[in-house]
Amino acid sequence: MMPIWTKSGEKRAVTLLKVQDCHVLRYVSKEESGGKTAKLLVGGKNVSPFSKPESAHEIFKEAGVPRKQKVTTFNVTDDAIIKPGTPLYAAHFRPGQFVDVTAKTIGKGFQGVVKRWGFKGQPASHGQTKTHRRPGAISTNKAAKVYRGKKMPGKMGNIYRTSFGLKVWRINTKHDIIYVNGSVPGHTNCLVKVRDSKLPTYKDCNKNPPFPTFFADGDEELPEDLFDEEIFQFTDPSVTFA
Amino acid sequence: RVSSDGKPPKFQPPPKPVIIDRKTQKEERRFLSPEFIPPRGRTDPLKYYIERKDMIQRRKVFIIPEFYVGHVLAVTTADPFASDKSNRFVGICIQRGGKGLGATFVLRNVIEDQGVEICYDLYSPRIQALEVLKLEKRLDENLLYLRDALPEYSTFDVNMRPVPRMDHEEIPVNRLQVRMKPKPWSKRWERPKYNIKGIKFELPEHKMKAAQKWSQPWLEFDMLREYDTSKIEEKIRKELSEELEK
Repeated sequence: MMPIWTKSGEKRAVTLLKVQDCHVLRYVSKEESGGKTAKLLVGGKNVSPFSKPESAHEIFKEAGVPRKQKVTTFNVTDDAIIKPGTPLYAAHFRPGQFVDVTAKTIGKGFQGVVKRWGFKGQPASHGQTKTHRRPGAISTNKAAKVYRGKKMPGKMGNIYRTSFGLKVWRINTKHDIIYVNGSVPGHTNCLVKVRDSKLPTYKDCNKNPPFPTFFADGDEELPEDLFDEEIFQFTDPSVTFA
Repeated sequence: RVSSDGKPPKFQPPPKPVIIDRKTQKEERRFLSPEFIPPRGRTDPLKYYIERKDMIQRRKVFIIPEFYVGHVLAVTTADPFASDKSNRFVGICIQRGGKGLGATFVLRNVIEDQGVEICYDLYSPRIQALEVLKLEKRLDENLLYLRDALPEYSTFDVNMRPVPRMDHEEIPVNRLQVRMKPKPWSKRWERPKYNIKGIKFELPEHKMKAAQKWSQPWLEFDMLREYDTSKIEEKIRKELSEELEK
């Protein structure tokens, strides 16, 4: 995470996400998958092929791509289908766009009810016998049972969570890095899924994004850094208020 | 002198002057700002490389002078609510924190009997000017104890003139021992964990001895805590000097 300043001198915190060896692996049509839209399987981050059996390498061999650490699905409309084997770059996103980021949260192991659900516990003194971080009562008398989904101690973290509506401030095309506003679930160097935002406020936000994706061997020559309009670029002199 | 032959003495050329190259001497004492050194951790070095590129870019446009804790600085920031849209603050640098672009420094001054500390971002675009008024290092790396010292040690004249200094001189170390206000202090500065050399402790002997009970003499031999930054510093210095010359 890094600080970033706007043109009016305000400071924002930004997370850096690297697009490392992402390739489209397979196209699954609407009828085949049984959903509402077609799906594209995308894999990220190359990993050694020796730790899995040959049967697991089929998808990668079809696409002609080394084995990936993580494979995710994206729901795509029919006009956005990409041929399997095409690499995906950070330039697929543009500054000013809004994005949802999904990742597995940091695993905290087996945790008690105070940390996991934010219960208040009991006072530290005034006669409490061996009861300071316990849940207390778990149900009423009339219910005569404990409801399903009762908040109790258990394994906390290491589940997929999404941060919605994060603004993309800057894109580095040379190193394939996306600068995304705010914080993102997961620990440092964890695998993360970045998708166009599904929030209704940002539905019409993308102005001319590269569609279906940014192709590196195309005619478009992008500069090394793409900035949002509101970002303060360090090549400018210091901010002054008129 | 009278020579043996009676002739005038043989012409002795004057000794060659010894040229002390100030530039090479200056290069030996190279200063690397502490926020360039990446902390120990599991982050990708690519992130620090990219941050450094941004920091160098900012340094090309706006000169950040070399300064340590204990220097008296004057900072002019852009302020949208001031009448002439800028705000000048003079103070002694108490601490320099943060790494990378988020590096900060705290300036302290006592204005009209009220102690004021302001924490500035080094790379913030609102800073319009950063002047070093007085260069002097102190005995400690952070002067947070000035909060509990007598206010005369933290007062600096707002209209102070910059003290002139030759470029090649070493930065002087001020061995000032500061006198404190009566206890209680915000932190127990006499304890060995703070390792403060710049306070003149006027506490009774038994209290100083009792404070030594919290000393941890094994810490200096702990090898896992050692972080040798010499090689990293060399690489970063090389990178910096190459980029700034462009």
